[in-house]
Amino acid sequence: MVPGPKPRSRPTLVATSTASAGLRGRLLARDESALSELVDLASPWLLGVTQSILQDREESEEVVFEVFDTVWHHIGEVEAHLGGLMPWLLRVARNRAIDRLRRRSRRGRTIDGARALGVLGDDVTAAPEVNEAATPGWHVHGQVHAALAELPDDQRAAVRLAYFHGLTHSEIARELSIPIGTVKTRLRLAFDKLRLTLAPLKDWVQ
Amino acid sequence: MTSHDWYVEHRASWVARALDTEEARSFADHLKRCPECRGAVAELERDLSWLPLGVAPVAPRPGFRRDILDRIVGARRHSRWGWVVPAALAASLLISLGVIRGQHQRLEVVSGELANRDATLAALRDTLSVEHDAAQVVHASFAAAGKACNITIIADPHTHRWNVVVHGLPPANAGETYQFWFITDDGMRRGVAIDAVTGRVASFVTDMPPGNAKVMGAALSIERAESRGGPMKGTELTKIMM
Repeated sequence: MVPGPKPRSRPTLVATSTASAGLRGRLLARDESALSELVDLASPWLLGVTQSILQDREESEEVVFEVFDTVWHHIGEVEAHLGGLMPWLLRVARNRAIDRLRRRSRRGRTIDGARALGVLGDDVTAAPEVNEAATPGWHVHGQVHAALAELPDDQRAAVRLAYFHGLTHSEIARELSIPIGTVKTRLRLAFDKLRLTLAPLKDWVQ
Repeated sequence: MTSHDWYVEHRASWVARALDTEEARSFADHLKRCPECRGAVAELERDLSWLPLGVAPVAPRPGFRRDILDRIVGARRHSRWGWVVPAALAASLLISLGVIRGQHQRLEVVSGELANRDATLAALRDTLSVEHDAAQVVHASFAAAGKACNITIIADPHTHRWNVVVHGLPPANAGETYQFWFITDDGMRRGVAIDAVTGRVASFVTDMPPGNAKVMGAALSIERAESRGGPMKGTELTKIMM
């Protein structure tokens, strides 16, 4: 029988601040192998971010392509103070995915699609399938999961919908059937806690 | 609450991009005028810079990296080779004038070699993409004309393609050919004919046979060369169930 899709080992992120800095230098020198390495290194995470927001594999790939195209042609403009190449890529990918999401008029379908796929569950707080604690990227991945898991359920739900699915205050209020003011409060409290918990990661990336 | 307090309270929502349209517009205008909020927002963005790693990573589909590189770097390569066309035209003109007839032949040879190498490289990349995402690898040993042979099938579940590698297959007798078969729930389906060359590994990537039949395995047989269709009539060498 033709083998159907099965869970694969999760891709390994081997980015460190040093590796990213090295890659950045090689990208500046127009080293095509550096771009190839960067695609291998970052694609699983960028696809994860964009697909979580767009719920559309093809569109998600298009956004990730745009991000790599930007980094290749404008690497000199990448702001070093943002903490490195990977955070920059993640931020640009997320912003562009949200831009696309807001341009299209199928929000309802997005939320329904997300529900159908089960991604509005505890996906962002589930423990990684593979223990890759020795790998720098997985260390961060694990810490982010842990930080999210420490949030109260209601705050985590608001963060999940806002940050990982790109919904606005009013959309979250509708989704959770709560007042907009409550959404704002939950987000503010959650981000205050998250930045405290995730702050030590700054040392790792600098 | 002062107007500035509102912006202070909504910094996190700005960073999360959760503000509704009018609020976001207002916040963007405020940021242009308020260095304190600009600094605070930048700091918040830095603190949360790894938060996107809260998502589960998604494995790229086979060939994704190749597509990205082709679209980004390939375009540059094409422009870098853009001189080839005018150069070839100029060369053709000179050839028509009878000046460098020999150069023309050389150019054709080099172009042919380049095309062959590109094709080989593309085939290798394609093969590697199947192997990279393989979810199932099956292997079998068999004998053909008294020689020990091995067949390995590497199955990619995402694209439903197989990379098939056959070692040790001796050249078929005159008038015969090796034939690859799919074993399906609807009978045997003919795959590709395999051209065996002594000392070389026979390797190919194949899609599943057309139609809805469920593929359950594969077989290899020796068939008469002229029998290009129909059911298996020759000698079955091996059968592999997936």
